[in-house]
Amino acid sequence: MSELPHRVRGVDHVAYPTFDPAGTVRFYRDVLGFPVVHSICAAGWGPERHPDFIHFFFDIGNGDRLAFFYYFGLEPFGGGPQGDAYSRFAEDVPVYFIRSRHLAIHVDSEEDLLEYRRRLDGSEWPVEMQIQHETIESIYTHDPNGYMIEITRALRPVTPQEDLDAALTIDALVDVVSGPDPSMAALLTRKAELIVERAAAWEEQHAARATAEQASVPEVARP
Amino acid sequence: MTTFYVLDVPENVSVATVAGQGPDVTVARVGPYFEISAPGAIVVDRRATGCRHAVWYSCVAGLRGARVTQQDKDALRVEPV
Repeated sequence: MSELPHRVRGVDHVAYPTFDPAGTVRFYRDVLGFPVVHSICAAGWGPERHPDFIHFFFDIGNGDRLAFFYYFGLEPFGGGPQGDAYSRFAEDVPVYFIRSRHLAIHVDSEEDLLEYRRRLDGSEWPVEMQIQHETIESIYTHDPNGYMIEITRALRPVTPQEDLDAALTIDALVDVVSGPDPSMAALLTRKAELIVERAAAWEEQHAARATAEQASVPEVARP
Repeated sequence: MTTFYVLDVPENVSVATVAGQGPDVTVARVGPYFEISAPGAIVVDRRATGCRHAVWYSCVAGLRGARVTQQDKDALRVEPV
């Protein structure tokens, strides 16, 4: 487990190229209501051959931003019939792989999730799926550039034991992918060893921490 | 002995409960995990758990002396290695 101080503060911006800036602005600003918060008009990029471009940013909440590059005169690149403005894939590439890279934007409540569903369903880019996963509920669509966008809410707060479980999963994963034949069976077998080694001690420490925190709360503040 | 582990979170509780109703199945705890064991195979009926898709296919946290031989829309079956 890392003991390094954790100083980062979320997403400053994530950036994608677009060949359809008008559609991109309609989708993010006019349909979803994400404000345009910054843009750069760049005449080339110094001495190298580089097209003039517009770099523009939408506020996706929490001070985080989704940015695009539009390059004047640039035509889409080839590569196959599937994919998006950035990546094109051959016909035989499975859709689960293509969809694995996506942007998920957080909302706080079911009401907010359904509000964005209403906005999308009234547009050219209606919701394609609404799914309850293990502990989150999400809606999905593709933006005018073909990028998959997810909007998601938590069905409940994450519990402390899920952090332990994640740590054990990742330690087991790192172990099994270093071995000769990575598989789910190998991972779950290794993870069971880690559960036996570490889970009981974790629970004792967690209980002790919770007791200490409770003791530090003034009597009047307790429910 | 066939043993598998399930993390104790609200979505998974029914998996341990239904598993524990099987013959010779014992459900113990190791930290925040249910430890579900039996001398032979352990079978959990999917519909009896009421688990939705994503919960059902990610409910197994660990396997000891065991392998999953079925995990589909009908059942989870864990057998001795």
